[in-house]
Amino acid sequence: MIHWMVYASIAIALWGICGLFMKLGTNCLSARSMVIWVTVGFLLMVPLMWRMTTLHGLSLGIVSVGLMGGLANGLGNWAVFLCLEKGAKASVAIPLTALYPLFTVVLATVFLKERPTGLQWIGIALALAAGAMLSYEGTNEAQEVPSRCAQ
Amino acid sequence: MRTKQSHFPVWVLYALVCTFWWGLWGFLSKIGSASATPLQLQILFTLGMLPVAVGMLLKMHWKLECNLKGASYGILSGVATGLGVLAYYAALHEQDASVVTPVTGLFPLLTVVLAFVVLRERLNKVQMTGMILALAAIAILSI
Repeated sequence: MIHWMVYASIAIALWGICGLFMKLGTNCLSARSMVIWVTVGFLLMVPLMWRMTTLHGLSLGIVSVGLMGGLANGLGNWAVFLCLEKGAKASVAIPLTALYPLFTVVLATVFLKERPTGLQWIGIALALAAGAMLSYEGTNEAQEVPSRCAQ
Repeated sequence: MRTKQSHFPVWVLYALVCTFWWGLWGFLSKIGSASATPLQLQILFTLGMLPVAVGMLLKMHWKLECNLKGASYGILSGVATGLGVLAYYAALHEQDASVVTPVTGLFPLLTVVLAFVVLRERLNKVQMTGMILALAAIAILSI
């Protein structure tokens, strides 16, 4: 049996390198085109996943929730590519957008009436501080000029 | 006369919009996970992305940019994310989400290292501190 840390490390490696690919891609293409090509990449994975499972037996409600989740994910992808296109560094944009569980906790609090635990309150405070600090560009910091497909 | 320039970079706004949409996606995942397996949800998520891609194509009057390098990076991003999700689910098969998710949440650290090496990106001290706080926040909020 393979240890779970091996799988987790593979996930970290793939998602980590994905952030680099996203920035490199945005140096060559518009945010809109990147959304389309990334979706193509996701679609390539569907036959593989289809071999492992089926959607048979899922209720219409759950299918709708899944499709809406995909829509939200796609719109998020568009926003992150716009963020990178407007000059954000990958090393800032990726950690900043990875703070999205903050909104998940907020939405769960509002709509599912879940009360954040003490630890989650600490996480929320840290996320807010991290967001503000990651967004800070020193006044003397040179504006990054996006290289057009230079890499 | 010099006009005072705003130091609020526009990309921050897009980053916030992104966190909102991905946060909503996380919320819907939470609801969906009660009745569907992660793999079933992942297929539905992929199908749900299609209207956004079609919307982009419509906005571009069906004239898709086909720069080979850019398209390759885009496709690789999608494949890498998808494979990463499969690896994540495999980890969840062996261990609880409250243990796995905070660990996989460390992935931005690798992006920072790669961006430092490949793109020669440098973070200022404030951003570096923010990065450390972000990793702690991601880990805590993932539990």
